[in-house]
Amino acid sequence: MKVLYSWLCDFIENPPSAEDVAAKLNRIGLKIEEMHKSGASFSGVCVGRIEKIDRHPNADKLSLVEVNDGTNVMRVVCGARNIAVGQKILFAKVGAKLVEGELKKAKIRGVESEGMICSAEELGLEGYDNSGILVLPEAAAVGADAATLFPRADYVLELEVLPNQAHCLSHYALARELSVFYGLKLREPSVAKTEARGAVVPVEIKVPEMCPRYVAAVLKGVKGARTPEWMASRLRAIGSNPKGNILIDGSNYVMYELGQPTHCFDIAKLSGSKIVVRRALPGEMLKTLDGKDLKLDPGMMVIADSSRPVALAGVMGGLDPSVSDETDAVLIESARFDPPTVRLASRTSGIKSESSYRFERGTDPELPVKAARRLAGLILEAATGAAAEQFTDNYPVKYQPAEIAVGPAQINSILGTGIADGEIAACLRAFQPDLKDSRPWNFVPPSYRQDIEGVCDVAEEVARYVGYDVIPSVSAMPMLPSAPTPQWTAASELKASLAALGFSEVFNYDFVSVRELRACGLAPEAALEVKNPLSSDYQYLRPSLLPGLLKTLRYNLNRGRETALLFETGTAYSRKDGGRAEAVLCAGLMYGPLPEGGSWVGGGTASDFYQLKGVTTRLFAGKGGFRYEKPQKAPPYFQPGRCLEMKLGGASAGYLGNLAPAVASACDLKDGDILCFEVPLGALAAAGKAEFWQRVARIKPVSPFPHNWRDLSVVLEERHEWGELERSFSGVQDLASVRLMDVYKGKNIPAGHRSLTIRFTFSSMEKTLNDADVSAHMAAILDRMARNFGAKLRS
Amino acid sequence: MNATEWKEKLSAIRDSFSVSITNRSAENPEALELRFLGRKGELALLLRDLKDIPLEERKALGALGNSAKAEMEARLSELKAAAGRAAGPAASGIDLTLPGLPCPKGSLHPLTITMNRLAEGFLKLGFTMSDGPLVEDDYHNFEALNFPPFHPARDMQDTFYVDAKDAAGKDMLLRTHTSPVQIRSMEKQEPPIRVFHTGRVFRSEAVDASHSFTFHQIEGLYVDKGVSMADLKWTVDTFMKDLFGTGVKTRFNPSYFPFVEPGAEVDMSCIFCKSGAGRCHVCKGTGWLEMMGAGLVHPNVLKACRYDPAKWSGFAFGAGIERFAMLLFGIHDMRMLYENDLRVLKQVQ
Repeated sequence: MKVLYSWLCDFIENPPSAEDVAAKLNRIGLKIEEMHKSGASFSGVCVGRIEKIDRHPNADKLSLVEVNDGTNVMRVVCGARNIAVGQKILFAKVGAKLVEGELKKAKIRGVESEGMICSAEELGLEGYDNSGILVLPEAAAVGADAATLFPRADYVLELEVLPNQAHCLSHYALARELSVFYGLKLREPSVAKTEARGAVVPVEIKVPEMCPRYVAAVLKGVKGARTPEWMASRLRAIGSNPKGNILIDGSNYVMYELGQPTHCFDIAKLSGSKIVVRRALPGEMLKTLDGKDLKLDPGMMVIADSSRPVALAGVMGGLDPSVSDETDAVLIESARFDPPTVRLASRTSGIKSESSYRFERGTDPELPVKAARRLAGLILEAATGAAAEQFTDNYPVKYQPAEIAVGPAQINSILGTGIADGEIAACLRAFQPDLKDSRPWNFVPPSYRQDIEGVCDVAEEVARYVGYDVIPSVSAMPMLPSAPTPQWTAASELKASLAALGFSEVFNYDFVSVRELRACGLAPEAALEVKNPLSSDYQYLRPSLLPGLLKTLRYNLNRGRETALLFETGTAYSRKDGGRAEAVLCAGLMYGPLPEGGSWVGGGTASDFYQLKGVTTRLFAGKGGFRYEKPQKAPPYFQPGRCLEMKLGGASAGYLGNLAPAVASACDLKDGDILCFEVPLGALAAAGKAEFWQRVARIKPVSPFPHNWRDLSVVLEERHEWGELERSFSGVQDLASVRLMDVYKGKNIPAGHRSLTIRFTFSSMEKTLNDADVSAHMAAILDRMARNFGAKLRS
Repeated sequence: MNATEWKEKLSAIRDSFSVSITNRSAENPEALELRFLGRKGELALLLRDLKDIPLEERKALGALGNSAKAEMEARLSELKAAAGRAAGPAASGIDLTLPGLPCPKGSLHPLTITMNRLAEGFLKLGFTMSDGPLVEDDYHNFEALNFPPFHPARDMQDTFYVDAKDAAGKDMLLRTHTSPVQIRSMEKQEPPIRVFHTGRVFRSEAVDASHSFTFHQIEGLYVDKGVSMADLKWTVDTFMKDLFGTGVKTRFNPSYFPFVEPGAEVDMSCIFCKSGAGRCHVCKGTGWLEMMGAGLVHPNVLKACRYDPAKWSGFAFGAGIERFAMLLFGIHDMRMLYENDLRVLKQVQ
């Protein structure tokens, strides 16, 4: 909201400076977003005439100018290009107060300058050409004080008004805040002394719960009345566009001044010469002021004449009965409308106006009369010969002020303060001068503060009154046990491990496009759709983190990257029984040669399935019951036959594998293996033990005797997988570990076969194993392999 | 062998060791060690002869032998160290300035680092972590938090709606703040309660340098008997000092959030403008940075969770993670946090 400092000052006696007003408002919770100065605030500048121009002896771009200031002729150094003899200019004498401070005598390139010819910018004047000095009209009188040629200095304050500050939405209201909180004396606006008279245009309120008050004033003989310039310039200053018609501009002016929206109807255009406040009838239409045809519904309140709606109450007037330059008899509406009704009408009609903005937030029930009188007064001032014909106040639902019983102990216990009774009472009296000194106080908030409903609201006002700094920083809170959630702990461990393994964490949006879903083989029908997306790029909530990771990969490859190890932790969404389901996943992606960027010893390798499997194996190291399985059903973006499911006990712990080539090409990623994995953090957290002491892996003792190992190379058919073989070794006595050393196919190996070199390490807790012991174990192992897999010792 | 002979032999061995180690004719330290101190070395053999000497004399001789051994060991290790020092400079021939071989270098996202640190701050103050869904219902996101239907405060938070219905048949929405977790926590637990939550929130806003339709928040809630604004101020002040050092100051300004009353905005003294008062571009010369929102839990919120406001009171405070992250990492454009450019992310240490 824009506020004009001088306008605000109309309502305060001995107003503080603009800076002080801003600081004072800020302290009580009204944020000043911007403060903009306008008009002239300089001094010591007069109108001068250029008498003579010479070149500066020591500088090509400077001139020596003789300026006549009405009494003397002075010599000035000037750098401007647009000077000419005979021009009337702004001449600042030594000692003048300008934007940059006081002007001092100066020597410029060896020549003394006795003043300065000013540009608009140097004087802080806005809206002028700043390319050179400001040239004045010929009529300007030489020697005159230049400050008188420009509007006086003023300030426009741009305030952020929070939704609970409905009582601050006008110049008068802000002045009132300053008077309540700082004891400044408030001045009332001058209003017309209109007496209540018989109704020319009767008002009937059919929905008093939606319209508790309707003040109507009728003025006749207003035709041709124009908006005075002072009013137009104030409206312009706060960004409103005056139309020149006092009926329109005056109505806006009163709203910005007092906070009460009013509306003017041309009585000649009202059919039946009456006003009915009612619900819209089904199918009724209204052509609004902006020329649009609006379909009304019974949830909306309208102002109607005897035959049709003439305004959407509190939101916007109708075009037909609106005032024009031809209007002679006008009805001023100054009413109070129910905030939710106005908000609903504004939302369903899609019309937001300064009026609906104020009604939605709640207007002062005691304001309509004052506002109608103020507007009437302004119109009568501008329209000579006009007269008031009617002033009626329909007030079917009287405002009931709240009564709050509040004691000093309550206030102090809420704030944690020791504010003296007298100071609290002073605050309450600032709102309610006639507060009786009984305890508890029976506090009645003023009509414009209906947001003050209970003791905690009063406590806030006291804190604002005394200043929030009164609240001490002190506490005797008891300790309570605290812990992160198991999922957070699981996620943190996983993230730290991935970062240590070379993966970079990324943050993608939760929104994806239908194209991204389809590219990953995901059905849009199964995804949650955003009803009001920012754009079609963000139409669905991601059912997987993969689309985002692929987008990130492409983004980085396009910027010259060759290797990318990425991961992300986030929520995946899906539909469930008409509602939604959410799962937090950790997913990652691996692409390009490793180590990243290569090294001078050479030997970089391309990322492949086994590299990623190494990563996931490392991530799950020490997790009880972890194993890989061939998936029953993997997510569609994994390449069939190149995907494993991870298991923790009986639960799925996600998948890893190659990205399906079709997905890669649909995402414009052409060459190379893209590996990806995803882990549901819920499963990880559920499998983990809750307590730290349970999560820690127990350490097994190691043998004090030396271990012994043997390598064995066997040839067997390829259909026997390593996993089967590995499982078959379980239970061999003294076998401490089995390590696959080499896999070989090719020369000397029959087709359909491969050779595996396996290192078996033996260790006993009881003794040093001798060659005979180990040989016996090895024979047993070879025998098992021969029987189960037809393995033969490689010759 | 008697004691005298034994002593003479020991003396001879010591002399011989001394001569050898001084002259170091052809023998290196390892050979000397083997000859004198090894399992079958001269001294070991002599010590073994002790068994033939009467017990009463053996003790004193043994001590003599051990001290001789210790002395010889000390001299030998000195000699080895000297040999090592001498050998050092000689090991040349590799270019020590060649780069080391690459170790994997990943990175955590600046927002994760910030969230982790802020969460740690809450944990230290005795707040336990709580959780809630991102797709919320109107009740938890708005109504229970004292945003009645048709309240203009709803305008402060432009909302994304989703094509799923809640139990009341209303469209579900993407939560606009982390505050619904306050409600969910209080529904699950009787007071006293001290919880916090951090996570993602959504608002239908155009993206620019300081706005994003996706961002993150953290907030804490404490409800107990007699909780006051002073408790809140101490908590907020301690939280900020934990993060930015004991030198920082905090102050409250009046503000408004529908779910608290009184409401406050928390400013922190600017940590960036040590010099040149009035010229700091971070705080724009005000000396203060707006960091958090706070206040006492509104009685309507307590009532919605079946907490009796006559008996219980509480406070809540929260902050935007992006705000902290941008200050900490010196990021001026919020979009950078969601671009995922590895050239940026890999800078995070």
